[in-house]
Amino acid sequence: MSDITITGLTKRFDDVTAVDDIDLEVKNGEFLVLVGPSGCGKSTTLRMIAGLEDITSGDLHIGDRRVNDLEPKERSIAMVFQNYALYPHMTGAENMKFGMKSVSNYTSAEIDERVREAAEILDIEELLDRRPSELSGGERQRVAIGRALVREPDVFLLDEPLSNLDAKLRVQMRAELLQLHRELDATTLYVTHDQTEAMTLGDRVAVLNDGEIEQVDPPQLLYDYPATRFVAEFIGSPAMNILPVELVSDGSDISVHHEQFELPLPNADSFTAQPKSAFFGIRPEDISLARNVAGDVPTFEAEVTVTEPLGESLLIHCRVGDDEIHVKAAARSSIDPGDRLELGVDEERLHVFDGTGEAIYHSSPRGHASSDAVPTQPEP
Amino acid sequence: MSEFTEPYESKWQAFLLLLPTFIVLIAFLYYPGLETFRLSLSQTILLGSQKVFVGLENYVTLATSSEYHSSFAISVAFAAVVVIGTLAVSLFVSYLLFEVDVGSSTYLIAAIWPYALPTAVAASVLLFLLHPSLGIITYYLEQLTGTSLDWFTNGPQAFAVVAVVAIWKQLGYNIIFMVAALNNIPETLTESAEIDGVGHLKMLYRVYIPLMSPTLVFLVVMDTIYAFFSTFPLVDLMTSGGPSGATNLLIFKLYRDAFEFSSLGLASAESVVLFAIVAILMYVQLRLSESYAHYGG
Amino acid sequence: MATQTGPSSKSVLGRLLPEGVETEQVIVHGGLLLSIFLMGLPLLLALVMSTQNTTEVYQITNIGVGSEGLSNYQTALNQYGFGEYMINSVVMSVIIVVGKVTLSLFAALALVYYRFPYERAVFMFILLTLLLPVPVRIVPLFDLMARLGWGNTLMAITGPYIASATAVFLFRQHFMSIPASLVENAHLDGVGPLRFLWEVLIPMSKGMIAGVSVITFIYAWNQYLWPLIIISDQSKQVVQVGLRFLQAASQSGLTRWGLIMAGAVIALLPPLVVLIVLHRPLLKTLAIQQK
Repeated sequence: MSDITITGLTKRFDDVTAVDDIDLEVKNGEFLVLVGPSGCGKSTTLRMIAGLEDITSGDLHIGDRRVNDLEPKERSIAMVFQNYALYPHMTGAENMKFGMKSVSNYTSAEIDERVREAAEILDIEELLDRRPSELSGGERQRVAIGRALVREPDVFLLDEPLSNLDAKLRVQMRAELLQLHRELDATTLYVTHDQTEAMTLGDRVAVLNDGEIEQVDPPQLLYDYPATRFVAEFIGSPAMNILPVELVSDGSDISVHHEQFELPLPNADSFTAQPKSAFFGIRPEDISLARNVAGDVPTFEAEVTVTEPLGESLLIHCRVGDDEIHVKAAARSSIDPGDRLELGVDEERLHVFDGTGEAIYHSSPRGHASSDAVPTQPEP
Repeated sequence: MSEFTEPYESKWQAFLLLLPTFIVLIAFLYYPGLETFRLSLSQTILLGSQKVFVGLENYVTLATSSEYHSSFAISVAFAAVVVIGTLAVSLFVSYLLFEVDVGSSTYLIAAIWPYALPTAVAASVLLFLLHPSLGIITYYLEQLTGTSLDWFTNGPQAFAVVAVVAIWKQLGYNIIFMVAALNNIPETLTESAEIDGVGHLKMLYRVYIPLMSPTLVFLVVMDTIYAFFSTFPLVDLMTSGGPSGATNLLIFKLYRDAFEFSSLGLASAESVVLFAIVAILMYVQLRLSESYAHYGG
Repeated sequence: MATQTGPSSKSVLGRLLPEGVETEQVIVHGGLLLSIFLMGLPLLLALVMSTQNTTEVYQITNIGVGSEGLSNYQTALNQYGFGEYMINSVVMSVIIVVGKVTLSLFAALALVYYRFPYERAVFMFILLTLLLPVPVRIVPLFDLMARLGWGNTLMAITGPYIASATAVFLFRQHFMSIPASLVENAHLDGVGPLRFLWEVLIPMSKGMIAGVSVITFIYAWNQYLWPLIIISDQSKQVVQVGLRFLQAASQSGLTRWGLIMAGAVIALLPPLVVLIVLHRPLLKTLAIQQK
């Protein structure tokens, strides 16, 4: 097992910069998820680590070896691909064995033994004699993971491995991957565009946007303390509401002024900057109907435009002045389009971002003990 | 099919649309095709003015003619050489085209142009360049190997020369299909092998060729048909079947029997044999492509 | 695989090369250039020799541009009938292309968009003609042409080629890949079949029509055996058979190879130009043909 250390990693294709000077560390035994929208550079990063793409600049270490110029097979990695990359004319076992002779010095007997062990771990013994066309999507992906397992690499690289599976299977495979990681404790870098997958799988999650890392944190911290507006809107579904506001300070107190409401902010001293105009962020589940809010919390009015029953809750689209916000209300609330609602916010869960998208305020201070994250603030 | 995907009902319109194709196919393909069978059972006498039914006599003649036997054997050997030669060279070039990083589309055109090369042009050009006494290529080959080449009189040499020209002309067609087949192989298969450090040759034999096999089967059949049916201009322009019958391919013998010796019945029997060869090849292609269907997964 | 770049190999050759250039790719490019050179060499030599006079041709290793310049071409075109042959070939090929595309579009329209009894049998009837290349039916076909009085006519060298299993098959495949919703629309609008063909199918099949046209043109242009047999009047002959006549051309007993090379280049040019200009639709169309 080894850690992966990336410093200043950059990839340019002609005049397009796909990955722009990123730093990232995947610790020994850690499951790190690289998440971002399509085209953000996450796959390119993974492929550079695998050795499938040349590195334009920067350093890549696996363990204490600098591997920039090593052939893929010398890097002690195994990769699982989105489309499984199984050879259609070979059985499961042949797929797992093919290439083993090239990647290592094992004897045939040793390879057979490893295939047997991997198959046992993954519970795919009965699939070994079948060809990919006789396997379901989930079974193919298990064989593909088995192919990675038999190599006993220092590092596992997974490129959207669940994206070709249907929703139900994806949930099941997610759980199996988690369990597998717990058993093997292998250093794993996992790329996905699906924030739910990122949240459920990652020990830590790195959010990548436009070739740059926005934030690296454990899932809950990512959700509670988004470092940027991009992270705030990308992580969580439905997305966080973002409203343009003015910041007005009155002595030591600071409040946000929107055309429809004014909201004093608690813990005003945690502001790291204080521009005049900013963006106020609040998640749909942190807004509630005023009649359900205890005490003298300030409230504001909004007009319902659309309601979406999600089953376990009711998602309400409202107009607040010229802006739209989403509110999560209890399921079966009798609310209809056209209603005017009195809304209150959870004062513990307020966020403010500056014009560049950087977070300058979270209403509840971020605990120090709970985060062991590497420095995450993007470069200004 | 739902009613929307076949929106038109009129059987008369359908019939009218199919009619021109049917007229041509029946008049110029099916009718003469069937006539070939009938003619093969007859002989023409009195300078072609009368036909008499002779049963299987023409076939018996073919079966007992040593000239026909040798022409048949030469044609089979010729097809084998052309198919193997074409596939080997095309595979080499196609693999390079698949591996090359820049300029692949320019290289592709520069490699497939023989698809447009008329057989008669190929024959004329190489007849001269390989000419035993005037050919520049022959001259340098002789210098290089220290041998004396004279395929105007040496049978095996003539056979080889005609085969080389046949292969040259057929490269473009094969490369087109092979490159397409290689490019259809998912890139992640290549990358997965690259991570394991699998060598290029092993990749070619163990992965690419098996995955290309439906295309290769198709090309074996098409190249065989080509070698039997489309090589007439080569023989006609380069060797006239000689020396001493060394390049007397079935198609050339058929032409001579029919249009030089006016043995129409015998020539028709030879046509029937050619028909049997196409039919067998097409059947093989159909069967094999079905059995490779699982490679699609 | 133009986008795929592997990691740099660090072999001996690799270290000698500029940064970013891989040993493997050098070998690949070298192999390709050599292969393409060898494949094209006969043509290059033919081009050069086509400018030489008989004396220069007989100096075997002389590969300089000859003293004849383009006059061998002029001689071929004007004195040896290549002008006429070329016109005959062009007319024949164009008629076959236009005829085959038109007839096959009609047939595919009927096969895909009409419901009629024995559809499958009709399709098989068309496909089975693949078993009947010209040599299989050459004697009776010759007979038939004689009885129709078509010997020595354009009809004889075009008629038998204007229907084709391959073209019908390709158009049928293409029509079946057009989304049903479009057809549905036309149906709901009450569009008649010919307008449907003209305004919907043909515009949506431009690439396929171009591809089939290229295949057909190259195939038609390459015809040799059948014109040789059925056209006995030299002035009506096609250019491929013209090359056969050229072999008899001699000057003081010596074969005029420069002239023959000029004729070969002339006879190659039209299909070569068509291939280069229309290679894209051709490649797409052939990819479907294999099925």
